[in-house]
Amino acid sequence: MGVGNAGVTILDLLAVENPGKKGLLVVNNDPESLSASVVTERIAVPEGDPGEGFRAIDGEFGRAVSGASSVVLCGGLGGGSGSFLLPALAILAKSHGITVAACVGMPFSFEGRDKKELAEGALEKLYTVCDAVAVIENDRLSAGAPSTTAVGEAFTLSDRTLLASFTALHCMISTLGPVKITRSDLKNVLGIPGTRTFFGAGMAGGPNRLHEALEMAFKSPLLSAPGRTTPGSALTGVPSVLLLLQGPPDLSFAEVQMAVSEIERIAGESCQIKTGVHTDLSAGSPITLSVIASSGGARRPEKSVGTRVSEAAPETDGVPPRVEVLKAPPSVQGSSAQTTTTTSRKTSAKMPAITKQTQGTLDLDTYQRGRFDKSERTIVAGEDLDIPTFLRRGIKLTPPHRN
Amino acid sequence: MSKEQIFVGLEIGTTKICVIVAESRAEDQISILGVGETPSRGIRKGEIVDMATVTECVREAIVDAEEKTNVEIGNVWVAITGSHLRSFNNRGTLILPHPRQIEQADLDMVQTNAKEIALPPPNTFLHTILQAYHLDGNRNVIDPLESEGMQLEADFHIVHGVKTRITNHLRCVEALNLEIEDVVLSSLASAQVVVTQHQKDIGVLVVDIGGGTTDYLIYLDGAVRHSGVLAIGGDHITNDISVGLKLPIARAEILKIQEGSATDPAASEGGVINLKNDPGFLGCDIDRRSLGTIIHCRVKEIFELLKRDVENAGGDLLGLLGAGVMITGGCARLRGIAAVASDVLDQAVQVSTARNVGGALQTFENPQYSTAIGLTKYARLITKDSHPEGMLERIAQGFGGIFKRGSR
Repeated sequence: MGVGNAGVTILDLLAVENPGKKGLLVVNNDPESLSASVVTERIAVPEGDPGEGFRAIDGEFGRAVSGASSVVLCGGLGGGSGSFLLPALAILAKSHGITVAACVGMPFSFEGRDKKELAEGALEKLYTVCDAVAVIENDRLSAGAPSTTAVGEAFTLSDRTLLASFTALHCMISTLGPVKITRSDLKNVLGIPGTRTFFGAGMAGGPNRLHEALEMAFKSPLLSAPGRTTPGSALTGVPSVLLLLQGPPDLSFAEVQMAVSEIERIAGESCQIKTGVHTDLSAGSPITLSVIASSGGARRPEKSVGTRVSEAAPETDGVPPRVEVLKAPPSVQGSSAQTTTTTSRKTSAKMPAITKQTQGTLDLDTYQRGRFDKSERTIVAGEDLDIPTFLRRGIKLTPPHRN
Repeated sequence: MSKEQIFVGLEIGTTKICVIVAESRAEDQISILGVGETPSRGIRKGEIVDMATVTECVREAIVDAEEKTNVEIGNVWVAITGSHLRSFNNRGTLILPHPRQIEQADLDMVQTNAKEIALPPPNTFLHTILQAYHLDGNRNVIDPLESEGMQLEADFHIVHGVKTRITNHLRCVEALNLEIEDVVLSSLASAQVVVTQHQKDIGVLVVDIGGGTTDYLIYLDGAVRHSGVLAIGGDHITNDISVGLKLPIARAEILKIQEGSATDPAASEGGVINLKNDPGFLGCDIDRRSLGTIIHCRVKEIFELLKRDVENAGGDLLGLLGAGVMITGGCARLRGIAAVASDVLDQAVQVSTARNVGGALQTFENPQYSTAIGLTKYARLITKDSHPEGMLERIAQGFGGIFKRGSR
């Protein structure tokens, strides 16, 4: 479900790339944006009082989601539509007894302070309602981009990443495929307020597809710890990681294992890796690999989890307070044991506090294997020796001065 | 056997393919007749990634050598390296039913026993190098043949590697209709010419840093005690420079050769190196200290990894080296490399080139050629017609032709 202007844009992208895809729905309070959308299932929220508006669409919404067991909301926070619609729709969906996941984009800081605050507020509400929230922070996304990046490109990048995370979340929550990620896994990783979402996706085909996809995913700026340029560095020490592999039926067991072990190498042995595998793509199509993890609460001071249900209702802009369903579903926990491939060593994962953003680090582009990019890795004691030593040691250099 | 036997050593290296044609001389000496050489293509970290290209390069090098020496090359000795090569020490034991004179068959048997060990499935034996014989508790018997005894034991240094990778290495030679006499571990070949018998006896570490790999070998009491291959070499230094200073690889290589130094940059004076404009390359000023840092970090790391590996082998091998460390290979020419090695390994370090080699050419003065020259020397030693006497020959006898028998 695409919500708000950004949500509509992203669903349009998805619909254009996957014609005939079922179950897409766009919701917006801007009739123009809706009428321009290629998605046929639309719900227009009347302008004016938001509470009234929602009561008006309740019936329509109920019909749209009837028979569905889960919904993935997608949109941008900070604007006039998404910030209000997303939390409200999440509550509405919850009231129909549906599992709700959301992936949301946080605004760039240059978009203004008030937008940021609006987005933060909306995000907090979302966390209280949704089972899982993936947060794509545009600021972090753009941190890795070269300074010459056009504004338009930056937004495209943000849209693309949102789309990728949306697809991944959708795939995980719909629990298809031979190896599944359960909803409780999803909740464990993405349901904790005040955490930072680490997300990376890679897509590759050909004989070395897995490595290339992994590398692409790791190179995602959202998988880098603040102030560090080593790809995948954000994964170091996270308690659990969701790994989703989508591919053609010939996706091999060895490839799945390789992906898991590679992530384990970076994340450490105490990390739980929940793997989901979907092999329903057509033969010959490239594999898509998505990695989702979250940090301990360092992004914002964490709110007490206990307050979530009670505080949620009055804050939500006059929406009917029918939100008794907000308890964590404990029943799912039991069944998860058989259906999840758990690559854990120790389950007693503590949330490590993530290091504070360090300033003044010389940005050495992304890491580079240079001419060894395509050759067999030389891994000794967990270090890829093909990466220049000075990069691995974090030694700063004086860059060359062009004449 | 004629007095002037010809030996051809072929090294398929990451940087260059080198063919040395040498002639046997009296007293285990060899004399170099000529060198054939081509820059390598299709090789990464000492291993072949593009068979057809490498075969073509080998052909060029062989033809080059034939033209320069007027020798028709039919048989070659091939050096091999690669990160897949592993080594360990093992003892073989043979207990005879009753005391009798030890025969050659017994020596063979004890070697077979030492190899009764489960290698990883894809692997095959490359070398089984004799370290020492023990006869009825009498340790370090030089030659037990014809001595009387009951319990014969022998220590071996065993080198093994992934069979397909070794055969691939040979396939590009075989494709040229060349007969392969034997396959020799690169560091073992280099060691034949860069260290003396005396050094081998009192203990020495030979480090051959090439383009794609660093090969090392420890001699103690005249026998090979430890060997290893690290898939890092001069190419990595070049790549680091290229990445760190944002230069094209070819530029980085030139910069490394002309200005590079492994010395700790903290001690050196700063300054800039001016790179001129080239077609397709905008000139720039390089901070000398940054260049130094890049190289120093990498070189230091190579020796640290090497040290860790040797220490993991146990037996405080580094503490027993009486003759210190000998560095050879193309990278040995890097300025200041001996000092860094000396710091890390806490040993006397020398850069060494081929010795005890004759010939009109001054090839042996370049450490790049140590392995290829070493191959011919090795060939000379193990094809000697006289009965082996010295320690070196004794060792050589242990592994002659092992690979041939094992792989075909």
